[in-house]
Amino acid sequence: MRLLWWRSMGSAEAGEMAGVLGVLRVGITLAEPMSFSVAEKLLLAALMAASAGVFAWRLGPMARNVWGAKKDTDFSLRPVGKRVWKFVWEVLCQAKVIRQRPLPGLAHAFVFWGFLAFALVSLNHIAVGFGCGFLQYAGGFGTFYVGYAAVWALLVAVSISGLFVRRFVVRPKWLGEKVSMESGVIAGLIFALMATYLAALFVADGSGEALGLWWVHTLVLLAFLPIIPGTKHLHLVLSPLTVFLKRPEFSQLPKLEGDEDFGLVAGKDLTRLIALQAYSCVECGRCTEHCPAANTGKVLNPKEIVLGVRSYLNAEGPGSEVALLDGSVKALSMEAAFACTTCGACEFQCPVGVQHLPVLIGLRRGAVNTGAWEDRFGTKLFLALEKQGNSLGMSTMERDKFIAKQEFPVFDGSQEYCLWLGCMGSYDPKGREIVSDFARVMRALGTGFGVLKKEKCTGDPARRLGNDLLFGELAEQGLKAFEAAGVKKIVTICPHCVRTIATDWLEYGVAPEIEHHSEFMARHAHLLPKQTGANIVYHDPCYLGRYREVYDEPRAVVATAGELVEAERSRERSFCCGAGGGLAFLGEESGERVSHVRAQELMATGAETIGTACPFCNSMFRDALGAVGGETPPQLLDIAQLAARGLAAETAAKQ
Amino acid sequence: MKIVVAVKQVPERDAVVRVAADGRGVDESDAAWTMNEPDAYALEEALQLKERAGDGEVVVLCAGPERVQSTLREALAKGADRAVHVVTPESGAGSLGERDTLDVARLLADAVRAEAADLVLTGLQSDDLGAGQTGVVMAELLGVPHATLVLQVELAGAGIKVKRELEDGWMQQVEMPLPALLTVQSGGNRLRYATLMGIKRARQKEMREVEAAAATKRADEVVKVSLPVRVKQTEMLTGSADEIAAKLVERLKFEVKVL
Repeated sequence: MRLLWWRSMGSAEAGEMAGVLGVLRVGITLAEPMSFSVAEKLLLAALMAASAGVFAWRLGPMARNVWGAKKDTDFSLRPVGKRVWKFVWEVLCQAKVIRQRPLPGLAHAFVFWGFLAFALVSLNHIAVGFGCGFLQYAGGFGTFYVGYAAVWALLVAVSISGLFVRRFVVRPKWLGEKVSMESGVIAGLIFALMATYLAALFVADGSGEALGLWWVHTLVLLAFLPIIPGTKHLHLVLSPLTVFLKRPEFSQLPKLEGDEDFGLVAGKDLTRLIALQAYSCVECGRCTEHCPAANTGKVLNPKEIVLGVRSYLNAEGPGSEVALLDGSVKALSMEAAFACTTCGACEFQCPVGVQHLPVLIGLRRGAVNTGAWEDRFGTKLFLALEKQGNSLGMSTMERDKFIAKQEFPVFDGSQEYCLWLGCMGSYDPKGREIVSDFARVMRALGTGFGVLKKEKCTGDPARRLGNDLLFGELAEQGLKAFEAAGVKKIVTICPHCVRTIATDWLEYGVAPEIEHHSEFMARHAHLLPKQTGANIVYHDPCYLGRYREVYDEPRAVVATAGELVEAERSRERSFCCGAGGGLAFLGEESGERVSHVRAQELMATGAETIGTACPFCNSMFRDALGAVGGETPPQLLDIAQLAARGLAAETAAKQ
Repeated sequence: MKIVVAVKQVPERDAVVRVAADGRGVDESDAAWTMNEPDAYALEEALQLKERAGDGEVVVLCAGPERVQSTLREALAKGADRAVHVVTPESGAGSLGERDTLDVARLLADAVRAEAADLVLTGLQSDDLGAGQTGVVMAELLGVPHATLVLQVELAGAGIKVKRELEDGWMQQVEMPLPALLTVQSGGNRLRYATLMGIKRARQKEMREVEAAAATKRADEVVKVSLPVRVKQTEMLTGSADEIAAKLVERLKFEVKVL
């Protein structure tokens, strides 16, 4: 193959090409060996068979572990449109990979797109070996494609070198303590493929060099294939499928089926999707990089959980009765499973379609539904939910007194909204302030609302901690209560209540339409008085942001109350407050407190006020600011309080 | 070791109590029911004894109408091996409301006798009536030794060693032979939470229904049931600080009697 400048023109096609290019007249030919002997062709066929054979032999056990796993009973290809769109966006466009880590993401995207561009080149390459190469003879298109692939080859070669340097020299800590040697080998092979392709553009067609380059390229290609299974490079094969097949909803927990399903107890409970996802993990560590537990010294490392499931499958197989937690795989420990705040940063970040939450919560379900999890605080929480029906373990009389004191009307069907207080709004002093202020806002806007006479917890902490019995009872009672009261629309200050009622309760029935107070207030933002002055940093609650994709509404409310500033990590990259997943009710944290880390990050913006939109976040930061807030900690206010403050000032000004 | 745990179903703690129309009982029509708390601790103690011993059987026993089966199921779900339900009518003649403590204790003692248990546990009193009599009367009827206000039980040779709560923070350790009956105080253990697996397993466990003997005539008579009248009185003590202090001490000494 030759790259000819100006003077020497190769083929007629090259001439056309040169003509097109005008000033920079480039003739381009891919040097190919003249011909192959029968022996060479046989050798090629044998090598190809060997390569494919080793590939299949290594992939076989994994495929069997996926296929042999339990069927996902709730699986459905619908909604197909959404799946196709995710595939196009996340796989073909590499959007998530690029967006969340721009530089390495782009390098990865170049390698991926380069591979796609090379599909035709590789096919032609092997065809040449059998004497039926087609690309060179495809007229203008062939010449164009050879040049087009050359551009990609350059981009891939540069990108893979960059990624190699990042992995083996820069070594970001979330890649883990050891980086696998195979990935170095793979990077070398990819580089060799590109180099041999590019080199073939500079040697004479039919020459000995062309033959040598052809064989090197072929051997690299055939060596590449068998290495893929058993390494993180299996994601090349699996992740497009995994992304397409993943559960359509965020943190989608499967319904427990039959009398012997208690969640993920042993290998027999691992489903095909979980197994497929475990084998797809590319070990990039994005999940761990963003994990609040892993970043504050807890034993939980979400990447190790996924790899732990993979190790378990390899060692025990999918039908095994051996316990998943605290068994042979060290990463799968009870302590790790219960250190998760269910913030979902891992699941959101994963570029290959691994869904961590159904696994982490599934492991908890297995432990709690069978009674294997023994925890003083966890038991106290469950008993409080069983007996008092609220997560704070307060007498329900306290809620009655609060409602009476605030003169909240009882919902009687005549009001537009049912104002759901939630455990925090009913019993927590700060939660009560938030609810009272939100009621003030609703009253000022002239929106009719009423509260239920009796309320029980939605079951959120029970759900996230894996107590299906308790969650089911609370969900059923909640659905009944709404139906009995004739509620059509619910609004609440708590994103956990919103998520649980709207999504998790679906296992038991359809609840009335529910929205978060940020959504309600954003619709009325133009009616809220405009306040000036203070800088307000807004903290995205996990259950409002990643779980519900509500980012702009609370910001619209904050913008009426002051100057909105953003923390270093915000929106879908927001860092958890540490309360989710029932962890607000469990005892002391090991290592650093998640809430302290986030409070410091919010304070680092220099904002005078921290704006929250979740009573749990508010409660966590209240404590954190007491500990790390210094002499003059920023003010801590819910968005409802920010809005109510404006209304109070307006009323005062009128008087 | 075979342990029988006698439990009672009582209205939920937060239930709003209303006096029944006849003024001689409590209106139970919309009450939510739960296991009496000290009985829950008695059950926990029994389950832990069985777990420590490595084998044995825990039989849970309850007298009452159909609705008490939910409490028995809860006990089965938490780990009891089987249940005995002494069935009484919902209301009227023979119902729990028509029976006195002695009569209820007799119903339970008859059921225990049929089981030939090594140990009988029950809560020290009920959250609703709070008489604290049923357990000890049962022991008397069964002719076995008993201990009250028990916080912990240990096996000691052929008998048991129990820790009892006395007043003012004092504890007493008592050794007893078996069979015996103990009434258990709340708070000696940590209760366990109900699990999905427990509930599912409980469905397969035996729930035996036993017809209750006819009621005997009550030894006592309920004349009237009334809600306690809540009185709130505030009296401001006035004068100089010294005078107020003197008045306060006097009141605390002679009226409230805490000094």
